[in-house]
Amino acid sequence: MAVETVASPSPRGFVVPGPVRQIGRRLGGAFLVVFGVVTLTFLLTRAFAADPTDLLSPPNATAADRAAVRSRLGLSDPLPVQYLHYLRDLLHGNLGTSYLTGRPVTSDLLDRLPATAELATYALILGILGGVTAGVLAAVFEGSIFDRMLRVVTSAGLALPQFWVALMLLWLFFVKFGLLPGPTGRLPIGMDPPPKVTGFYLIDSIVTGHLSDFGPALAQLCLPVLTLSCGVWSPLARGARSAMVLALKSDYVRTARALGLSRRRIWFVYALRNALLPVITMLAGTVAWAFSGSVLVEGAFGWPGAGHYALNALEGSDFPAVEGFVLYASILYVIVYQILDLAYDLADPRIRS
Amino acid sequence: MTRSLDQMVEPVGQHQNRGGRIASVLPIGIRRIRTSTAALPMGLGFLGFLVLISLVSVLWTPYSPAATGTGPVSAAPSGAHWFGTDSVGSDVFSRTVAAGRTDVLYTLTVVAIALLVGSVWGAIVGFFGGWLEWATLRLLEVVQAFPALLMALFIISIVGPGTVKVILVAAIIPLPDFVRLARAEVLTKKNWQFAEAARMVGNRPMVVLFKHLMPNSSRPLLAYASISAAWVVGNIAALGYIGLGIQPDAVEWGSMIARGQSDVVSGAWWESFFPGIGILLLAIGFQLVGDGLSSRNQGEER
Repeated sequence: MAVETVASPSPRGFVVPGPVRQIGRRLGGAFLVVFGVVTLTFLLTRAFAADPTDLLSPPNATAADRAAVRSRLGLSDPLPVQYLHYLRDLLHGNLGTSYLTGRPVTSDLLDRLPATAELATYALILGILGGVTAGVLAAVFEGSIFDRMLRVVTSAGLALPQFWVALMLLWLFFVKFGLLPGPTGRLPIGMDPPPKVTGFYLIDSIVTGHLSDFGPALAQLCLPVLTLSCGVWSPLARGARSAMVLALKSDYVRTARALGLSRRRIWFVYALRNALLPVITMLAGTVAWAFSGSVLVEGAFGWPGAGHYALNALEGSDFPAVEGFVLYASILYVIVYQILDLAYDLADPRIRS
Repeated sequence: MTRSLDQMVEPVGQHQNRGGRIASVLPIGIRRIRTSTAALPMGLGFLGFLVLISLVSVLWTPYSPAATGTGPVSAAPSGAHWFGTDSVGSDVFSRTVAAGRTDVLYTLTVVAIALLVGSVWGAIVGFFGGWLEWATLRLLEVVQAFPALLMALFIISIVGPGTVKVILVAAIIPLPDFVRLARAEVLTKKNWQFAEAARMVGNRPMVVLFKHLMPNSSRPLLAYASISAAWVVGNIAALGYIGLGIQPDAVEWGSMIARGQSDVVSGAWWESFFPGIGILLLAIGFQLVGDGLSSRNQGEER
């Protein structure tokens, strides 16, 4: 990964600035990964998966009927030709037609993304704020009871499967205390959603004046957000803690202390800023993960998001739909990672040396 | 060197476990500085306890784990049924301890496969480099861009269920991390003096690699194996929970949680609660052992 800080002259004589070369190299790498993802997905579904003809033909179909289905799906072409058609369709944003819903996978996914995005946004806000605060405090008060407690809690948070956490929260808050609604998705059964502006029910209900939707939508959000944020804040709290512990032991903090700066200033201005840099890196994975919809959390709460869609598709052998979701999620990863990688390179001059 | 080296000592979520070179910029020091020396014995204690229970469950459980109608349906924990009964009247305690057997065995097998294949693969590409290394790294980037659990489910839905298939597919998820870690280990150590010396006395490259370099990298690899086992436990439970792959009649924690799911909403929490505690204990046990092993590594390096 050694990238020259001094731009070398290109053959044609003009100088390409370092950052531009770096961006170019990264984009090239990202493109290669996306291409690989697309190819692997194609191979998995076309070369190894069961023939969907049986699924789509009536039981009494003749050989001719089956051949018609196959040619309609483009399955009668040789594999390389199918691959080219697949690439062409992808470039047009066409992910195929879902076997289950009979609609284009692209519009199916677009319909469900706002639900996933709303859940992910709140879970990320809660998880990041909670995780970083807890981690930093644990580092500042290293060895205290709070630090030890946090360690136990984050261990559990990392070890417990989210589908179990979801169930137990449901039992506690819905069954036992009756404080929050059951797993009926984004709104109680029978309620109409607010008119769509952003697709986020909380925001839409305020913007369009459908305030009666706000309370129920918020109540429905509580448990899924809490469950999902566990997956965000446990690793972040650990990461923030160790980064902050390291920063507090550094020479520049010792110097600042020797110069007589206040402890608060040392903690929150000098140490925190350095400690946050590695935490930002950890964030990339978390953000991509939350937005690709935690398949099992959405399933447990009946949340009508992209992850739930993928799970249903998987259970119904709806390969175009699964394929579409897998592509969406992995390309999202690549994009988020590349953006953060790049931002990091540009922000931290030490990496470039 | 690569992100695995950092993650080896600071386990992060699976969802952080992927992607390209981002984490390579993490300072090597992102590791737990103050490590409690109790981690290793505590973790071994947890794991030993679970293994012991699993072994005892082979010989004796209060009721047969597969038997239905051992008591009233969905009964709360009592003297006769310590963890209660489930919707078909099976004894939850017997099933929970018997399921431990399945999960412990699956986890160990999965991790052993990933560790073995991953370290050999990573060591070879790190040692010889060239196009093989380039291709490996690109392949890992592609594989790690897929959402891990979904990819596993996807492959199983294609290849069909079966114990061996489930174990192999579950081993694909942690495999890239082992390849990266082994490669990083070999890359840093291949020019150290002991390796030079081994080469100089005329050993063939393969001998240098597997008799001299690999044994020197075994501790970090084992530490990472233990940390990764904590994730494998969760993945296996998730596969069982969804019901893809693991046979429905197999007694397994994830599938027990799924079986109890509908009853939890009507109040019978015990059907799903206890299997979850099993997962928790097993995962934390592996985490602690991994933490303990990696803090010992650091102690030696200093």
